[in-house]
Amino acid sequence: MTSLTTAPGAGSTSARPPRPARRSRTGTSRLEPWVYLLPAAAILVGLLGYPLYQLVVTSFYDYRQANVTGGAPLEFLGLGNYAQLFGDAKFWTVLLNTTVFAAGCVVATLALGSALAVLATRVSRWVRSVLFLAALGAWATPAMTGSAVWLFLFDPTLGLVNKTLVNVGLSGFAGHSWTAEKWPAFALVGAEVVWCSFPFVLVTVYAGILAIPSELLEAARLDGASMPRIARSIMVPMLRPIIIIVTIQSIIWDFKVFTQIYVMTNGGGIGGQNLVLNVYSYQQAFASNLYGLGSAIGVVMTLLLLGVTLVYLRLLRRSGEVL
Amino acid sequence: MSTSITAGMPDAGASVGRGTSPSAVRGTGSPDAEVTTARGGTGAAGARRRRAWKNPGSNAVALLVALVVAFPLYWMVLSALRPQAAIDAGDATLFTTDLTLDSFVRVLTVNDFGRFFLNSLVVALAVVVLSTICAFLASVALTRYRFRSRTTLLVIVLIAQMVPIEALTIPLFFLFRNMGASVPAIGLNQLGSLVLVHLAFSIPFAIWMLRGFVAAVPVELEEAARIDGAKSFRFVRSILFPLVFPGVVAVSVFSFISTWNDFLFAKTFIISAQENQTLPLAILTFFKDDQNDWGAIMAGSVIMTVPVLIFFVLVQRHLVSGLAGAVKG
Amino acid sequence: MKKSRLAAFGVAAVLALTACAPTQSTITEAENDESTGTLRVWLFAEVNQDPKAAVVDEAVAEFEAEHDGVEVDVQYIPVDTRAERFNAAFNDPASAPDVAEFGNTDIAAYVAAGGLADVTKEVAAWDESGDLTPSIAATTEIDGATYGVPWFIGVRALYYRTDVFSELGLSVPTTLAEIETAARAIRAAKPEMVGIAAGGAYQYAAMPFLWAGGGELATQGPDGAYTSALTTPESRAGVTAYTNLLADDICPSALCAEWTGSASVQQFVAGTAGMVVGGDFNRKAVDESAVGATYAIVPLPGEKAGEIAPAFAGGNNLGVFKSTERKSLAVDFMTLLGGKKYQEKMFDAMGNLPTFTDVQEKVAAATPAIEPFTETLAAGTEFVPSTPAWTQIDAQGDIKTMLQTVATKQATVEQATETAAAAMDKAFSEAP
Repeated sequence: MTSLTTAPGAGSTSARPPRPARRSRTGTSRLEPWVYLLPAAAILVGLLGYPLYQLVVTSFYDYRQANVTGGAPLEFLGLGNYAQLFGDAKFWTVLLNTTVFAAGCVVATLALGSALAVLATRVSRWVRSVLFLAALGAWATPAMTGSAVWLFLFDPTLGLVNKTLVNVGLSGFAGHSWTAEKWPAFALVGAEVVWCSFPFVLVTVYAGILAIPSELLEAARLDGASMPRIARSIMVPMLRPIIIIVTIQSIIWDFKVFTQIYVMTNGGGIGGQNLVLNVYSYQQAFASNLYGLGSAIGVVMTLLLLGVTLVYLRLLRRSGEVL
Repeated sequence: MSTSITAGMPDAGASVGRGTSPSAVRGTGSPDAEVTTARGGTGAAGARRRRAWKNPGSNAVALLVALVVAFPLYWMVLSALRPQAAIDAGDATLFTTDLTLDSFVRVLTVNDFGRFFLNSLVVALAVVVLSTICAFLASVALTRYRFRSRTTLLVIVLIAQMVPIEALTIPLFFLFRNMGASVPAIGLNQLGSLVLVHLAFSIPFAIWMLRGFVAAVPVELEEAARIDGAKSFRFVRSILFPLVFPGVVAVSVFSFISTWNDFLFAKTFIISAQENQTLPLAILTFFKDDQNDWGAIMAGSVIMTVPVLIFFVLVQRHLVSGLAGAVKG
Repeated sequence: MKKSRLAAFGVAAVLALTACAPTQSTITEAENDESTGTLRVWLFAEVNQDPKAAVVDEAVAEFEAEHDGVEVDVQYIPVDTRAERFNAAFNDPASAPDVAEFGNTDIAAYVAAGGLADVTKEVAAWDESGDLTPSIAATTEIDGATYGVPWFIGVRALYYRTDVFSELGLSVPTTLAEIETAARAIRAAKPEMVGIAAGGAYQYAAMPFLWAGGGELATQGPDGAYTSALTTPESRAGVTAYTNLLADDICPSALCAEWTGSASVQQFVAGTAGMVVGGDFNRKAVDESAVGATYAIVPLPGEKAGEIAPAFAGGNNLGVFKSTERKSLAVDFMTLLGGKKYQEKMFDAMGNLPTFTDVQEKVAAATPAIEPFTETLAAGTEFVPSTPAWTQIDAQGDIKTMLQTVATKQATVEQATETAAAAMDKAFSEAP
């Protein structure tokens, strides 16, 4: 279990230096790694690299239905799509929506996951098993089916939640629509997102807590340190790397939520009030056939996430991770 | 040795779960590692915790949380089994013995869910097999050879898994349209396009993850094989591959689930070929303007969720037991 | 060194960008005209779809019996996301269906996209085409060429619950203002009902309110270019009149803002609405519901008593995709399903008003219930701007968003009409 302290290094885990590469001395083996790399490289270049490049290119063009099907000539707009985007109040609203929604989900996911991880260290073994089993169930649920069942639970007329609220005397909830207003709708989607992502935090942070050497805690306790003090001075610093990674991971996920928003708010909510960047880009491109503008939104999103990734890389490097 | 492997494994579990993007998923902690701990306890630490902190209040809270978390799944199954008339009448009792398989029969026969299930399965399995092969070979190259630009490639792989795949829908749509003109089988409307697109999104994460497993195989083993006269590729295929099999399983489960959950690409790429629809889209068709067919939606959801749950359970066991062998080897 | 590398990359990127543009591909008519294989058909999903599916199935069976080795694959697509589907089909002709049902408001855009096959010759040669009502046949024509056959006319009128009205002693509304008063009275007496199911996403119910007071969606300049007219006082009054219905004491916006046309009608069918603006195509579903015996239909009144608010002259056509590899089969199926026999069956099943003059007379004689609709038609109808830009405006949901933002108090009528008008003008100016 010592591993878990290095776990933050994460998938990378194998933080060991590369093997002494004997074979690279001979001529044929110099080619060998490239042969092994070829299939993956071909697919990544063709289906990730090239589309990424095309995304950027398309974002510089006026590319609509007529341009796609040859009814109108292609027009190079340069930064025209971006100018239009940044000049549009709707874009800023959507960006704000996305940020607030993602931030809310991240905070809730981390808080709930961490709190339950601490709780899990304080319960009987069988209770812990039950808790983890339930969490795994939520974790394993596909976004589509998770959205469906949450939507059903909160259905205005047939949903269990409204019925229960009415039964306990809150008759105002009869037929109450949870998706009618902007923030309640975001909250409902957010709840589903947190439901299926907190288990990741729970399990990770729990493993991290277990990896803290018990002697350390014991010693602190013998020195008369209080629980809050132990938490602040020992647990938090030792869990820091794990928490950083979990946070960044959650940011990246929650920034890109598509299925839940699309399904639960029926493509972006009333009057587009629940649009997030991802869904906005999709709607602009595939519903309004503004593929150039949609691509520009995609580029903005990619750059934002790339920024997060760079922060991540820096932190990885600082924690001594060798690539 | 065990250090890197236990820590490498976690990704498997950690990664599963959020269906949208393999590239995004990169775990740290391990449900598996955790489960072992939870089962076996960790000696002193476990004892200490039991002594110091446990209390009935915590147990009660934890059970309550577990109940709330598991409830949507229970409700999904119960609603799928409830007679349609009861659902339409707004019957929301928490428990009933008046259950029927009607909704399942309906979605499987009238709505051809068997077909969509098969489509989802075919796509997911194809992605699993192909992505594992590609990623395994690439991870061998990236861990057991030292060459210039190796680090650069690793950084590229890391960045590749962060690319928001949803943003690429637009260029990919046109790319597959163009490819379909020369190779119809991988054009839009075909399952082939879904396989390829998920292949691209599964590979970076799979490489990243398998890297840990491959690196963990002792270099002495390789030298021994060389003395025995094993050709390089034979070593990779017959010795290395079996040794990292637990990792392969983990990666497979991950690729499977991210492909299985895909909604966006199935929605965008499968334009008119109903026979090539996958499960999420099939479920979406039950959402109607006037009255959602909740019985069918819930039955479809159960059909879609159960395989993923099974895989989750499977990976736990297989990984843990498989790992032990790999480490010894 | 890093910087110079970055610079080099930048230069390369700029070069690459100018060198490689997104692809363009023209939709061409397929060279082959296969007489076997799968014929893919897109029809719209409906409230209470079963009767429609039954008629279609019958047509399919007849068609498959007449054509060996042909299988007809009918897919029912949701109306509100049709833009995504049709755009995709135009962008990738290889994945397009062969025959499709589409709203007559979309035809201009579909033709502009080059997606529909010109079937002028085929329709002219069809022995039934002479009986199509000329004004309706015109909705399938663009610049003198025919792109399909009209399948049914869609015109809306006011449905109301006779039992509720007599119980509360209400008289049938004769003006738009009386609708509001009656609706409020219903909701006050029966809080479990909405006074009128006025969907925030139901733009075709809102348009008559606009038109009744002289408002307009857009006006056409001498050069043929459209300009949005939503910000005129008349139009704003219409928007105000409709969105006033989405109030807590009539149809609470928390519920109603989300409702599309289908969802609004569904409320009436479910017995939870006192009134609704419904189409001739909804009549069957209402007849078969629990309220089937206790409702009546009148033309939607105008501003003054005795007037009829101009209705939206909707209707759906059947057309053939240009990229089809089975054009003859597709035309055969289109004329079979869109022919007299099946139009009459569709009238019986769904209540859809036929597009053949003789069939109309026949069904009107047998079914007095459709009189409010024919009366509305006779009083004069309005249409959305017939430009490809309309499809864009529709897909963006500009009108819908306007209604919803007013109803949910996210914007005032002035702000919302301003925003919608700007979006419309942008679409008009960009239309090919």
